[in-house]
Amino acid sequence: MTIGGFIIKNALRNKRRALLSILSVAVSLFLLVTLLVLLRELTTPMQDADAAMRIAVRNRVSLANTLPYRQRAVIERIPGVAAITPFTFFGGKFRNEDIPSFAQFAMDPVQLTNVFGEAKLPLDQLNNWIADRSSCIIGIETAKRYDFKIGDKIKLVGTVWPADLELTIKGIYKGTPDDRNVLFHHDYMDEACGRLGIVGTWWVRAKSLEEVPLVVERINKEFKNTSAEVLAETERSFVLGFISMWGNIKILIGSISTVVVFTLILVSGSTMSMAIRERFRELAVLKALGFRRHELFAFILAESFGFAMLGALVGVGGAWLLYTNINITAATKGMFVAFELTPRIMAIGFGVASLLGVVASIMPSISMARMSVVQGLKTLD
Amino acid sequence: MGKDLVVRIQNLTKIYLQGEINVTALDNVSLDIARGEFLTLMGPSGSGKSTLLHIMAGIDRPTSGKCYVESVDVTKLTESQLADWRNQNVGFVFQSFNLIPVLTAFENVELPLLLTGLSGKRRRDQVRTALEMVGLADRAGHLPRQLSGGQEQRVAIARALVTDPHLVVADEPTGNLDANSANEVLGILQSLARGGEKTVIMVTHDPKAAAFGSRSIHLEKGELIREETTQ
Repeated sequence: MTIGGFIIKNALRNKRRALLSILSVAVSLFLLVTLLVLLRELTTPMQDADAAMRIAVRNRVSLANTLPYRQRAVIERIPGVAAITPFTFFGGKFRNEDIPSFAQFAMDPVQLTNVFGEAKLPLDQLNNWIADRSSCIIGIETAKRYDFKIGDKIKLVGTVWPADLELTIKGIYKGTPDDRNVLFHHDYMDEACGRLGIVGTWWVRAKSLEEVPLVVERINKEFKNTSAEVLAETERSFVLGFISMWGNIKILIGSISTVVVFTLILVSGSTMSMAIRERFRELAVLKALGFRRHELFAFILAESFGFAMLGALVGVGGAWLLYTNINITAATKGMFVAFELTPRIMAIGFGVASLLGVVASIMPSISMARMSVVQGLKTLD
Repeated sequence: MGKDLVVRIQNLTKIYLQGEINVTALDNVSLDIARGEFLTLMGPSGSGKSTLLHIMAGIDRPTSGKCYVESVDVTKLTESQLADWRNQNVGFVFQSFNLIPVLTAFENVELPLLLTGLSGKRRRDQVRTALEMVGLADRAGHLPRQLSGGQEQRVAIARALVTDPHLVVADEPTGNLDANSANEVLGILQSLARGGEKTVIMVTHDPKAAAFGSRSIHLEKGELIREETTQ
């Protein structure tokens, strides 16, 4: 027999309790890493070379306020600007879906590849879209979801804008972080709405990465003290700002995660204490036989740590298996296109499990250390 | 300390604090125990016999007085030193056997050897020898629940002997056994002392059990009141 074998036999003496302890840790850690992935997906914008060079320009008052179309010519002349397109959220209803699984944006189709270079669609499809003002292109995820083909028509009922749009699909794109959107001519939407001459946002591409901060500054300065002051910011800042409109989701998820970890520590600590209290007399016997306090502490720690790590393996490993193999877009009805359990989040899961293993063993170890052999032998006698 | 003395106790006093009341468990007890003796400690409940045994075995500390075992004053040792000392010098036999239920008889006996740094082979050899001494070599793979009470106590004796200690202490070892099993266990303890190398100290209520010993000490209210040589 080895010390390790002795610890394992002790830990598994009550198999049902061992299983339940492991499962309680596993379920809690599954929940914790899921919340962390959720937080990450909500707050971390996709980063690529194109995104880093993109600048979003919105009304300084709020995202809900529009900007005049005449600003386009001004922005185009600002040094460092390579391309610009209006980008206006349409927010129409589709079929019987009040909130469709895809967003709809009006933009300048000629600028698609200049501003959103990651969008890939065949050249003939792009040209067909550009040539037909009442047409649109759709992301491949939306095409799959609704079984759309080129030539099909999409009817969008306006809820934000005073117009209904009927669009013919001329292309299917892919390669963007969110291949679900429907993109159509801004000019067509403007005409359908009665030539309002307004846009939701401008999206600008800078000529180089180094020029991004300069272009941001120049655009902001250009419209200062005008009737439509703007807020130009990098795409990353824009996305984070957009998310913050949901409320302080970071604090919400952070609070839930903290409660999960705290509850987990209480439950595991209580379970370990119970398991050790039942064995007080045996621990007293081990002390009598010559085992020292630190050796008994190591037994308790190893048992507690072992349960916590097995729980982490099941919980974090299970989450990884699930989120790696599941079609997250289908499972969340298009709410998420990615749900990646990153190595960092896995490390946090295992880190919490390690902490749990140590903390849960502290109270029973203190009780064990305080117990004299004679007291321990009297327990349950 | 004399050449043949294993234990010398001088003016040993133990006072417990029970709530707010001081309870004197041992009151100025002095005692010498020679090598190869089978000493029985007798007396009514609360007379201090178990306390005296626990102090001699190094699992309890006196309030005052000295307790030398093999010339070592165990009252002066630190917790850690006491743990090592117990492992090397004392074998314990308890009333309720106190075997670890998830370990086989063999593994229970091997337990104290895990602290010795002996090789696996040496450990296995010593365990087999100890189990043979108590006549349970054929039960080595059995769990405690698969053994009778007498067999469990014999496994406990094997565990007490496996480190080859000078002193074997037994606290009511026959208290949970039927008459036949009790006789077997007492016979084994007697034979250990008869060999001359081991000194056995046993607490018992039972005069029949005490009759197996070579000397009997009677305690009452923490004082040593009578001593008898039984063999």
